[in-house]
This record gives sequence, structure tokens and C-alpha cells, in this order.
Amino acid sequence: MTTAQPETVPKSFRPVEFEVTAGGEGFLLGSRCSNCGAHFFPVRQACSGCLHADLETVRFSTTATLYTFSVVRQSTPDFAVPYALGYVDLPEGVRVMAQLTGRDPEDYQIGMEMELVVEPFGADEDGNEMTGYRFQPKEGSQ
Amino acid sequence: MTGVYVLGVGMTRFGKHPDKDAADLGSAAFQEAVTDAGIEPRQIEAAYCGHVFQGMVTGQRILAQVGLAGLPLSNVENACSSGATAIREASLAIRAGEHDVVMAVGTEHLTTKFRGALTPDPSDPEAAVGATMPSVYAMRARRYMEEFGMTRRQLALVAVKNKRNAAANPLAHFRKEITVEDVLESRPIADPLRLHDCSPVTDGAAAVVLVSDRAVKKLGNGRAIRLAASTLFTGTVDVEPTTMTFEPLTHKTALAAYERAGIGPEDVDFAEVHDCFSIAEVLRVEGLGLFERGAYPGAVERGEADIGGRLPINPSGGLLGKGHPLGGTGVAQVVELVRQLRGEAGDRQIEGAKVGLAHCRGGKAVGIEGAACTVQVLVK
Repeated sequence: MTTAQPETVPKSFRPVEFEVTAGGEGFLLGSRCSNCGAHFFPVRQACSGCLHADLETVRFSTTATLYTFSVVRQSTPDFAVPYALGYVDLPEGVRVMAQLTGRDPEDYQIGMEMELVVEPFGADEDGNEMTGYRFQPKEGSQ
Repeated sequence: MTGVYVLGVGMTRFGKHPDKDAADLGSAAFQEAVTDAGIEPRQIEAAYCGHVFQGMVTGQRILAQVGLAGLPLSNVENACSSGATAIREASLAIRAGEHDVVMAVGTEHLTTKFRGALTPDPSDPEAAVGATMPSVYAMRARRYMEEFGMTRRQLALVAVKNKRNAAANPLAHFRKEITVEDVLESRPIADPLRLHDCSPVTDGAAAVVLVSDRAVKKLGNGRAIRLAASTLFTGTVDVEPTTMTFEPLTHKTALAAYERAGIGPEDVDFAEVHDCFSIAEVLRVEGLGLFERGAYPGAVERGEADIGGRLPINPSGGLLGKGHPLGGTGVAQVVELVRQLRGEAGDRQIEGAKVGLAHCRGGKAVGIEGAACTVQVLVK
């Protein structure tokens, strides 16, 4: 029995910060200090805590807590409005900005438990669809 | 080490200048500052020019217009702190003993460079997911409302106050008073912020002539104001998430300025702070230690920050009312401090002020609390 392979690996909209696997899973990427254990997003060259320069690139957890959010009504040219934008805190001790999805813009709450979802995210210069991340409230989150 | 004094100031009207460019505006402010200082243009020994989006060698284009091409000049970019950073660099050149009379000019022709919301540099990961400057401050506002119970009406009062002050400032972008209802009914930008919570896209320039002890004795026109501190820091990368309802960067920069000036926050009589958004003024004054954490919205409601109040904030109208031509902003704040301390502020004069503080904070980069922060303390 053979496993069906996707025809193409989804293309990440920002490969340095976001990895998409062949199976369609997505992971935020950052650095972990091999000396003091601090985590950073995005990838850094040295630790801002202890200045150690030996950092490893790691995949972050895909769960988070919503720290705060806004609904953008006046957009940049790249995104259709309205869209919800938030800061989410990851278990590694890292805060990341992300678009939010899964609820009406008015229905997000500070403190909600969130999870990363892999979604289409714009197109490259040749018009090919790219893949990015958003965070949505976990099922049952108030 | 020598002290540093502001001998002359100049500033264009802030607003839309479709018939001028950044060098035209900078040149007008430059020449006014020279005249105000009561010196000859040839007495300027060096210059620093703050701007953000005006392209290469804007400062040299100003020098060419005013007949002073040939001087040592550095262009300075530090986002919305660019003009304030130019003042700091000019003051350092004087303190180092290299020069006695130095011009700091800040200019921006923003209406030809940007429409709508400012965004971080396109290379930034947060810009890539749709960050705009209003949305970042909107998120801070929402969190502050949650933590401290600030009401939307209290936040609107910051914009109402600053637009009222601007109405008394002939050089301000906006000259019309507004009501709380005007704020709450203005166009939504990024919830919970609306149009009147946001500083406008503005053209304008400002300039100051800084001089040494030696030069102030020789050239002093009796109106020199001492620049008692000019501090600059950049934001740090946090090793764990910290609150977004307080500004460690503003606090650290202020503490360094207080120490240098030999004062404490209780000695400040009035301040110009970087109110790029209504919520920003709240975060700035609390970070500066001028008001207790969580206390500013109530203080504004009680009129404590009005001209004539206990501690006037943004008597010029601030960025919300006077306007925000990025490179010009930090220099214009110092122009306002000087005019207030000289007693030349007209209808918006604060009586008896001896110590004024100016605060700028600019730029957004992923993972950094704020890109560049400056605090200037001026003492009569």
C-alpha cells in the first residue's frame, strides 16, 4: 500500500518564520538558546538574555492564549478589510502577531485559548497561492 | 563638559503643502531658526537633518537652498524619533567640543509618500501578516481598557484636549475643536480606535539652533533655553512576553534624562509627548512617570492635563492636533518647549513654566518593544 503524496508541497508565505510540511502541517519557527533556554520569534543570531550565539531553530507549539486583538477596518493594500489581528502568547514564552479566524470579528475575547490553523495566505509574484498561519479559538473556548 | 542651549527656533505651518517639498519646508524652518537666534547663517558650523521617507541627502538639499552647502551634515533616520535624534546628535557634537553652533532640522513631506495607515517596513514579519501602526496601538488600547477599566469616552477626551490646544496654535494642522461625540462617530480605523484617535498625514518641518556655553555667552540674545538632557535608547528584545500597557523603553529613557538633568518627574511643569494615537499619550505619560500607572484617563477627565491644569500635556496640540510630519515631529516638540519657556506661546501659554519635557518614540520591528525613544528636558 502506498501513501498518497500531495502533488506539490504547499508554499509558505514566509519560509524563514513559517514551515509548512508536505502533509500540510504548519509550524512557526524561531530560536531556542542552547545556553539559557530562552525562545525568540523570529529566528535570531544571538540570545538577548545571555548573549550566547549558539541558537537552534525550533518549531513552536501550535496552541496559544489571546493577549489582545483588534479588527482592522482601514487596510494596507495587501489585505481585504475587515480582518482580525491579535497578539497570541505561545507556551514557549513568545508573543506572536497573527491574523485571527473562526469567529465574527466582534466575538474574540482576551484570554481565549487559540490554535494555529494553516490557511491560504496571498499569492506569490507568479500568482501561485501561498500558505500561511492564522489562529482560531479552540473548540469550546469562550 | 559644556552645557547646551537652544538659541533659536523655527517651524513651518504643519498641514498639507502640495506646492512644496521636504527640502523647501526644511529650508524655511532652517532660515527662521537662524533669524530667531539672531545670528548670521555663516555662524552655523554643522547640521543634522532628521527625516524618514524623503530619500537620500535631503539635508544637503536644504543646505544648498539656504546657501550653506559645504558644512558637515549627517542625515538621521530613527522612524518617528528621527528629528529628536538629530537634536541629540547635534547636542553630542557640542558636548564633545567639536562645534559651538549646530543646526538640527527635521522635515517630512508625508502627503506625497503615504496615504492611510503607516505600516512597518515590508520586510518585517508583522507587516507580512497585516500589521498597521493603528492596529498595533488599537491592540494596546484594548488591553489597557481591559486591565485598567478605561472607558472609550475617557480615551476620546485625549483627542478632544489635543485638538482644543491645536485650535489655539496658528501652526497646527487642525484648527477646529471637536467633541467626544465627534471622536466616537468618526470612521473606524482599527477597533477600538477611530479616525480622531489617530494623528494625521502631515507635511512640515522644524529647526533649532543649539549652542555651547561659550557661544551662548558670545551670541546669547537673552532668550536661550538650556537643553538639560537629551537621551536616546532603542527597545530591547524581550526574553519573555511583557505587558503592552506600560512602556519600559519610555521609562528607561526618561530615568536617564531625569538623572542627567538633575530633576525628577515631579519637577516637570509640562510635556510634549508622542501622541501618535490617543492611547499612545496615556502610555507615554505613565511611562515617563508623570502620572501613576492606570491613572491618566481619570486625570484627563478631571482636566489635570489641560493648559491651566496641574500638568499640561501637549499644549501645542500634539501629534493628534498639530500633526505628525515624522522627521519634523521631534524638533517641533522642542520648538514648542522653547516658545512656552520664553513666554511666546500666545493663546496656549502655560503660566510660570520652568521645566519642559519632550518625548518621542518611533518605529516598529518584530519582537522589539519600540524601535527608538528620546527624551529631552529643557530648563529656563
